[in-house]
Amino acid sequence: MAGKSGRSISNVPEKAIRKNILSWEGMLVVVFILMVIFCRSISPNFHLENVLREMPKYLAEAFIMLPMAYVLILGEIDISVGATVCLSATMTCMACNKELPFIAVVLVCLLVGTACGLINGLVLTNFTELPPMIVTLATQIIFRGIAEISLGSGGSVSLTNTDGFRMIAGKVGIIPYIFFLVVILAVIFAVVLAKTTFGRSVYAIGSNRLAAYYAGIPVQRIRLIIYTALGFMSGLAALFLTSVLYGANTTTGNGFEMDAIAMAVFGGISTAGGKGRLAGGIISAFVIIMLRIGLGQINMNPQLILVILGALLILAVLLPNIAGELKVKKKAANTK
Amino acid sequence: MSDYILELKGITKIFPGVKALDNVHFQLKPGEVHALMGENGAGKSTFIKVITGVHKAEEGEMFLEGKKVDFKGPRDAQAAGIAAVYQHPTSYPDLTVAENIFMGHEVIKSGMIQWREMNKRAAELLAQLDAEFKPTDEMGALSVAHQQMVEIAKALSMNAKIIILDEPTAALTKNESEKLYKIVDKLKEEGVSIIFISHRFEDMYRLADRVTVFRDSQYIGTYDVDGITNADLIKAMVGREISDLFPKPDVQIGAEVLRVEDLSRTGFYKNVSFNVHAGEIVGLTGLVGAGRTEVVESVCGITKPDSGKVYLEGKQVHIKKPVDAMRKGIILLPEDRQKEGLILSWGLGQNVTLPTMGKYAKAGFNDNKKERDIAKKLLEEVDTKAVTIFDPASSLSGGNQQKVVVAKALGQEMKVVIMDEPTKGVDVGAKAEIYQIMGDLAKQGYGIILISSEMPEILGMSDRIVVMCNGKVTGELNREEASQEGILELAMEKSK
Amino acid sequence: MKENKSILKKITGSREASLLIVLIILCIAITAKSPSFMTFKSITDMLKNNVVIMIMALGMLGVLLVGGIDISVASVLGFTGMIVGMLMKYEVVTSTPLLFVIAVAIGLVCGCVTGLVIAYGKVLPIIATMGFMYIYRGLAYVISNSEWASAENLGTFKDFALGKVLGLNNVIWVMIIIYVIFFIVMKWTKIGRKVYAVGSNREAAAISGISTKRIDVLVYTVMGTLSGLCGALAVSIYASAQPNMLYAKEMDVIAACVIGGVSMQGGRGSVVGAFLGSLILAIIAKALPLVGIESIAQNTVKGIIIMAVIILNVLAQRAMDRSNLKGREM
Repeated sequence: MAGKSGRSISNVPEKAIRKNILSWEGMLVVVFILMVIFCRSISPNFHLENVLREMPKYLAEAFIMLPMAYVLILGEIDISVGATVCLSATMTCMACNKELPFIAVVLVCLLVGTACGLINGLVLTNFTELPPMIVTLATQIIFRGIAEISLGSGGSVSLTNTDGFRMIAGKVGIIPYIFFLVVILAVIFAVVLAKTTFGRSVYAIGSNRLAAYYAGIPVQRIRLIIYTALGFMSGLAALFLTSVLYGANTTTGNGFEMDAIAMAVFGGISTAGGKGRLAGGIISAFVIIMLRIGLGQINMNPQLILVILGALLILAVLLPNIAGELKVKKKAANTK
Repeated sequence: MSDYILELKGITKIFPGVKALDNVHFQLKPGEVHALMGENGAGKSTFIKVITGVHKAEEGEMFLEGKKVDFKGPRDAQAAGIAAVYQHPTSYPDLTVAENIFMGHEVIKSGMIQWREMNKRAAELLAQLDAEFKPTDEMGALSVAHQQMVEIAKALSMNAKIIILDEPTAALTKNESEKLYKIVDKLKEEGVSIIFISHRFEDMYRLADRVTVFRDSQYIGTYDVDGITNADLIKAMVGREISDLFPKPDVQIGAEVLRVEDLSRTGFYKNVSFNVHAGEIVGLTGLVGAGRTEVVESVCGITKPDSGKVYLEGKQVHIKKPVDAMRKGIILLPEDRQKEGLILSWGLGQNVTLPTMGKYAKAGFNDNKKERDIAKKLLEEVDTKAVTIFDPASSLSGGNQQKVVVAKALGQEMKVVIMDEPTKGVDVGAKAEIYQIMGDLAKQGYGIILISSEMPEILGMSDRIVVMCNGKVTGELNREEASQEGILELAMEKSK
Repeated sequence: MKENKSILKKITGSREASLLIVLIILCIAITAKSPSFMTFKSITDMLKNNVVIMIMALGMLGVLLVGGIDISVASVLGFTGMIVGMLMKYEVVTSTPLLFVIAVAIGLVCGCVTGLVIAYGKVLPIIATMGFMYIYRGLAYVISNSEWASAENLGTFKDFALGKVLGLNNVIWVMIIIYVIFFIVMKWTKIGRKVYAVGSNREAAAISGISTKRIDVLVYTVMGTLSGLCGALAVSIYASAQPNMLYAKEMDVIAACVIGGVSMQGGRGSVVGAFLGSLILAIIAKALPLVGIESIAQNTVKGIIIMAVIILNVLAQRAMDRSNLKGREM
């Protein structure tokens, strides 16, 4: 019964090398280089060794960005990650101070994070009518609230024994372990997203949830896995954050949700869902980390850095929207 | 003064990539009821939106009572006395009936909304229409028929001279339709001119003075309802004799593949039983809202039935999710291609392989090369008009989009293919091709369930016809004994 | 008999009525534990301490009605409050009315920018306001230069929150006046109903000629304006201006609305609901220590209440849908 008209449909993918250079990721590489040059020019201390030394604190956020990119591609959002980090870090410090073996401390950290993610996931998949924004808004208050209760009136906890954490904060040469871990996890997350049926399903859900469901994709199971993974990675972030800060307080993890979302959005991942690649998110994570280190070195007010990041986040969404709008208008004018 | 209260000349409306209206004419006499007919996708709804100022036509002129008008938006049309009651009521479910009626022209005295006065006037309007609900009821709690009455009351409240009804009877029961007819009669007596769109010949004969037919975005003609026959109209709408359209092949019907027994879901359907054999096309028909789609959605695991059994090749199966249905060999090609069938922003190839990518994948990794080959083969098999498999699905016409949806079913070892309104919004040429594919599938031994509201399609393609009404199966007809009248009788609510 | 039934149904069916019942039960329970609760002073103190949340809940009502959200409100408050504090401290402006005007104007501009970015820049409300939350809070720190304005800096400005008219504190009067204005605007004016229309069915509203974008900008601008006003009020009430003023209190504002029956999907909610919701939240905060829950657990309790309320709403909706279906003739 094949093609009565004998029409042939090409299935040869275009090979576009030029396209790659002009892509969003290509632009981000240029932005990254410009950012390094900029930081060098404003701060005399901005050289490789220093940058690598200061990096772990900020790299923790890159852990969160990876699954957050999945959440955004689903067309959803999770604003409870900062609170998850706070709760995990708090529990970790308390477990450590109870003189548990270090491996148990690590397990506590990851378990608390995973549990937080699982709670979000279970609520969202059992009550699909609820928007993720409001659910994670509520769990954010609860997670941070539990941390507040655990921390008591002092509002902070310090490690009494930092041995274990010194170990994970170690280095190979001048490169900290966390750098390798971020790179490995980034590759895994990027490959899963781009190459596997799981990744394709995530895009399908973000592009058209109903069509994906009708096509037999287990929408709710995938959402549950992603939210739980986000919790787990927040726990991992908390672990490495603790290895830098040697303690936790009620404001630990503040703003992590915005940073993670900003990294992903700046990397070309659409907040409307269905679009973007993780490569962009990873490069932009390093752009933002460079910016933070550079501005930190010249002792800029950390609050001002947050102002800059907030503005970057809004502009990263706003400018493409405006550009798109202008394009549509121009097209409309042309067709007339 | 012109003879016509409303006249449109040479209207052309272009959407990106498609001409939705091509040099269309229309004339409405004062006080007449004018039916606008044509197949789905013929351009009727777009035309209505041009009249009401929602869309702006690229070319053409519009005259209201002989004066040229140029509506910049819906507001202008409303102010000029044109009101539309859309197929899906465009109401505010959270607000009261009175508020819905007076939205945009509230009763205001010194800046304050006069609720009491507004409720009083709304009650008067509703009394005119013999409505049984109150102005203070919440809109969202009303039935579709009642919501429509609110919309008509809204049109009256604006003193509309022209009221447009877009498929007003589509979601109504027979009694409710009768009531609507009476309302239209009353409006006509009061000198209101009415344009209505409908797919039901019954509506047209009962109500209209004249009928205008559109086909494939073009104007075909305007006829007096007295003296026109069904056949003439169908020919005008379809553009050819029906018999050529349905290439139903003779197929040896095999063993039973699917049997549904006493399936029930509260509020949707009750005690539904039917079966399908290999190589058989079973038409499932009934009016919109009869529960057809709801039944097959439960068979495919999209919704959960309260009770009943489903057998596949004689063995009882428990299908809880769409993926279960697909693994067992049942696929549903949903009615709404754009919302449920396709990912419009994706290429055709990935759309086709979406349900089956897991099958080709190795250890969870997609086999892109193999997927491309399969997509090419399947898309060529259904003769999709596309250049490459990377063209976005949004770039295709409705008919070709439907072919892509069908190709999804071909990619896997299926036993039963359920097609829900496969030719809705598809042009005539592509329709014939879809029927061809349907016939080929039957030849290959698939059991096919065809859900459709279009009578010719059901009669032309089905081996057996199952008719539903109000959530129940009201009858089953063989190909030989089936007739349009016979089906309609079963599909309509039995008047008590 | 039929009449009685419908009245009963009206009471149990209306969200506001059931909130009122919850409120009364709460009050009775607390009075039983601590008889001093039901005194005039105790109630006015509680109102005074919660004026800011109660006023901002009105702005949030508008934002939620059109289906948006604004989590930058506490930051706008901190920013304007800090400006007021600094202006007083360095004696640039000392006139109380003028300071209020400045705070309101700055809040208005902040809200308007947010609204423009959301409506015309098509940035999701949660993303846009998350950005502005950090921007305005950061700016509060930047202009404060890490200083505070304490009571002695604030001179006559703090007297506003101490003054009384007809035995009632000024700030409570401000709250009452704003509530009355909102009640009238939302119920009896065209603009108020347009907000409901946009939230209930945005597409239909656009077709019937309502400029939905302008309504969006309007609600965020009103939200900003009220946050600005609350910035000045908070400085006066607490007699100090700090850059981290009311940090994270946007959650209380949203919680008040959610408890008050404002739908997160838009279209549903009332001024009375927002009032009762914020009042219930205030009373719960006051009641926690009485039932042995330390004040440190307040946030957790609030979070759990929000979660419980939204899940209960879903369950109630599901039950209603089910009973509607059962009633459908077959």
